[in-house]
Amino acid sequence: MHASLYLVIRAVLSHYWCHRWQTLFLLVGLVAGVGLWSAVQIINQQARLSYAEADSLLGVQAGYWIRSRNDTGVEVADYIHLRRAGFRQLFPVVEGEVSTQRGEPVSIIATDLFALPSNLLDVDKIDPATVWLDFVQPPYRAWIPAQLADELNLEKNSRLPLRDGRLLPPALVQSHAQQGRQILMDIAAAFELLNMTSLSYLALGAIKPNELERLQSLLPQQLELIENHQHLDLQQLTESLHTHLSAMSLLSFAVGIFIVFNAVRFSLWYRRPTFINLRLMGVSTRLLMTSVLIETLFWSIIGTTAGVLVGMQIGKLLLPGLSASLHSLYDATVNTQLIWQLDTILKAWGITLLGLCWALAWPLYRQLKQHSLASRVSEDEKQSRQRLTRAAVVLVVCSVLLYPYLQDALSGFLLLGLLLFSAAWFLPSLLALALQTISCSIPDHPFIARWLVSDGWSQLPALRTAMMALMLAMTANLGVGTLVDSFRNAFVDWLEVRQSADIYLRSSRVDFGRLLDPQQSSAWLQHSHRRIGVTTRWQFRQTLIRGVDKQAPDSLNLPLAQWSADSPAKTLALWRADANSLLVNEQSHYLGGLQLGDKIDLETANGPKSYRVLGFFYDYGNPYFQFYLSREEVVRQWPQHYSRGVALWLNPQNENAVLLAEAAMRAAGASAGDWISQLQVRKLSLNIFERTFTITAAMNALTMIVAAIALLASLLAILQERLPQFAQWRALGVRSREQFFIIACPILIFVTVAWLLAIPLGALLSWLLIHKLNIVSFGWSMPMLWEMAPAWRLGGIILLVVCATLAMTGWQLRRRLPDALAQLGEMD
Amino acid sequence: MLSIRQLSKSFRQPEGDIQVFDQLDFNMNPGASVALLGESGSGKSTLLHLIAGLDRVDGGEIYVGDYQITVMSEAELAEMRRQHLSLVFQQFHLISTLKVIDNIRFQAALCQRYDADYEILLIERLGLTTQLKKYPYQLSRGQQQRVAIARSLLHKPALVLADEPTGNLDEQSSLEVMSLFSELVKDAGSSLLMATHSRDMAAFLDRAIHLHNGKLDAC
Repeated sequence: MHASLYLVIRAVLSHYWCHRWQTLFLLVGLVAGVGLWSAVQIINQQARLSYAEADSLLGVQAGYWIRSRNDTGVEVADYIHLRRAGFRQLFPVVEGEVSTQRGEPVSIIATDLFALPSNLLDVDKIDPATVWLDFVQPPYRAWIPAQLADELNLEKNSRLPLRDGRLLPPALVQSHAQQGRQILMDIAAAFELLNMTSLSYLALGAIKPNELERLQSLLPQQLELIENHQHLDLQQLTESLHTHLSAMSLLSFAVGIFIVFNAVRFSLWYRRPTFINLRLMGVSTRLLMTSVLIETLFWSIIGTTAGVLVGMQIGKLLLPGLSASLHSLYDATVNTQLIWQLDTILKAWGITLLGLCWALAWPLYRQLKQHSLASRVSEDEKQSRQRLTRAAVVLVVCSVLLYPYLQDALSGFLLLGLLLFSAAWFLPSLLALALQTISCSIPDHPFIARWLVSDGWSQLPALRTAMMALMLAMTANLGVGTLVDSFRNAFVDWLEVRQSADIYLRSSRVDFGRLLDPQQSSAWLQHSHRRIGVTTRWQFRQTLIRGVDKQAPDSLNLPLAQWSADSPAKTLALWRADANSLLVNEQSHYLGGLQLGDKIDLETANGPKSYRVLGFFYDYGNPYFQFYLSREEVVRQWPQHYSRGVALWLNPQNENAVLLAEAAMRAAGASAGDWISQLQVRKLSLNIFERTFTITAAMNALTMIVAAIALLASLLAILQERLPQFAQWRALGVRSREQFFIIACPILIFVTVAWLLAIPLGALLSWLLIHKLNIVSFGWSMPMLWEMAPAWRLGGIILLVVCATLAMTGWQLRRRLPDALAQLGEMD
Repeated sequence: MLSIRQLSKSFRQPEGDIQVFDQLDFNMNPGASVALLGESGSGKSTLLHLIAGLDRVDGGEIYVGDYQITVMSEAELAEMRRQHLSLVFQQFHLISTLKVIDNIRFQAALCQRYDADYEILLIERLGLTTQLKKYPYQLSRGQQQRVAIARSLLHKPALVLADEPTGNLDEQSSLEVMSLFSELVKDAGSSLLMATHSRDMAAFLDRAIHLHNGKLDAC
């Protein structure tokens, strides 16, 4: 048995040694598919690990926080009082931000290490050489995560220069990122550095319910106990993005498997005589199937190993972009050092094996089960097309049935998958229809046209899989491209209105009364908009109630997605006039279920109060709910509000307005780094935006490359298969140019049909992404920007790709035709 | 060696069933060589396929030695072919991705009856000594058919079924190959049933029978 199996496997696998192009394409398909899929899996896994690490961050792991109601911080005396009352689980936290010499903001977090509950700081992870005393006494130590130290070019014991000329304590670089991108230091060092005297908040470790009640009763009036939901929020918020990436990686995997399917199809065609031969020599079907399973296993192992290695490299390239996106969108920190996970490799192997079973084992099994050795290719092809069309109809029906039940990202992507694959399976029939139409539309057609169409029919079976892969890639490209363009467009509009101030100042130390005193600021200030806020939870999600100046330029032009009056302007006017009305973000509508005209009951310091919803404003990228009320109303109802800074519109008539503003801000207590200019905001925001979509663009481009490889693989396989036929044409006197024309024209027709189908499908895809997927996943939408220019551009790129692959095919034809011609006349 | 009793076989066609054999009987002794003559479409190849178990009969029985082909499962048929049969076709049916030497050894290795001395003898007699490291496509058709013959005889099968083995060769090569083939089959002690439409080729064998209208007649 073993000897026979070895012989059969050798005969079956020897094909790949002799047909290296096919082997190469099979490998490329596998590696591309598995590589892209595993890259995303590795990235997702890395992100989840980082979230788990983030859960152990100082403060985040605390079950509760104690904050001051008016955001003035917690007095040290109150902390000491509570510790003396027996609450050893309490530890102080100071948070702040400083600017480096180059203007980069750096977050500082500080605590009293000796007050930390033992489970909250993993002492084992700290370098044993760390001198604890150094940490708690001048000049102190700044504990910096390795990745951040790299970014800041900091080495051990070096001191980071700050914008105001001071230096950070000597750096202690730590390889693990327990504090994310924050620099950890002793509380005394932070007080000195941040010019603070009070604590940002107190964090509370594990505590029994009765103890919690006692603590609540002991809290001074100005402090409040807040339950911490941060770690839960992070996982929930990012889940949609990871699902999105997984879906894209699955699409890439599908396109890769299409290449494999294509390569296998040709390898099966070539090996048909070998299989017949083996059967004639007494090899049983079972033995053949065993050898095919071993072949499948062999390719799955090779594909997984190479694919995961490539995936690691792709992951390394894409992770920094994704890390930046997650940080900007959700404030989530993702470590960019990739690590191997056995789990990912096993999953990659499993999915590769499944893909290969579909692409390789199943068609081989079917071939081996055939009793008749006769080949009836044309009939099989037509039947196969009909089968695919019937399957496509079933998928369309499934998607129509699924549409009303779209509730989350997963069902949304399932719908997209059903639609995309139904379109792909329709494509062969559409291509056949195109050939039929051309054939009918040229009744007295010249011979060359008839030949061209007939050659198209003979190329169709070999090209259809590649066309499906190409069409899927083009659709994804157009759909995702439209999504990104729409997002960019909406984001820029949003920046114009929402970030229109010249300077943004945010600091708890600033005396705003002094800064905005009309008598002192009239020379440089045209308008100011002080923002205050109250953080609460509404419908189990973090919610910010903002007190805004309704007459400020950004409030006057707030872009509304839905409005209750006749127009957005009238709605805004109504909102300005009525203190009991509010505007809420789209997220509150889509995720919170609010409707126009609904009343929201909010708990205020003066008891519950109802507010009527007048409109929903666009709030791109915000994972939380946001309600807009007038500043006066917030001050009245929530005395414990805190400042969210001020937006300053400078006097355009005064050339020195910027300098005057800076001087005024310093005089009011702000330090450099507390403010940021509009230009910086725009640049930063657009950078963040572009980084957010880097991974999407990269996945898109890689999928297109994979599809182009599928096309090239098919063309080369056709060439190999039809070489004797081409040699016969030449023998009959067909010129090489005519021959190339006959081969190229049907391919161009097929590509055009695939492109034409991809355009409406791309539009449908982007519509679903923007108006369904985005809403169920993130809770916000935007106007869809559909233009034909990207479709034309894509058409041009595809034409170039097709021309390049045809040129390569032509070159191969030229190289190999003389041999084929020589074999034509050979008899013995 | 080979016994066929009351064999019936028809093919279903849109215009109606075509009866290829009706109650056909045939016997062949061990070591005998028989030429099966007949026009194109007379059913010569079908008969060989039925004997090899590559196709199923409608009725009747076929025995190869003690094996009743008509009642055997797919796996049993495969085992029987491997151990006791050899097939030689007009199209050679070599494994194009294996070298000549591997092709020659293939079936003998498969049924574990590989005889190195006999292999050398066969290779020398068939004039393949210098071709062993080549792939089949690097050989002429005559040489490819010699490889197919070597492969079919190396394991000394009980019965060799040959379907127009020289149909793809020119006249001179056909005569050379056929002469060698018939001699080697005799030396191996195998029986040979060969379908051909050429009386010249049939002359190399012990006797010839004619297949006409689904019946066998002695020539």
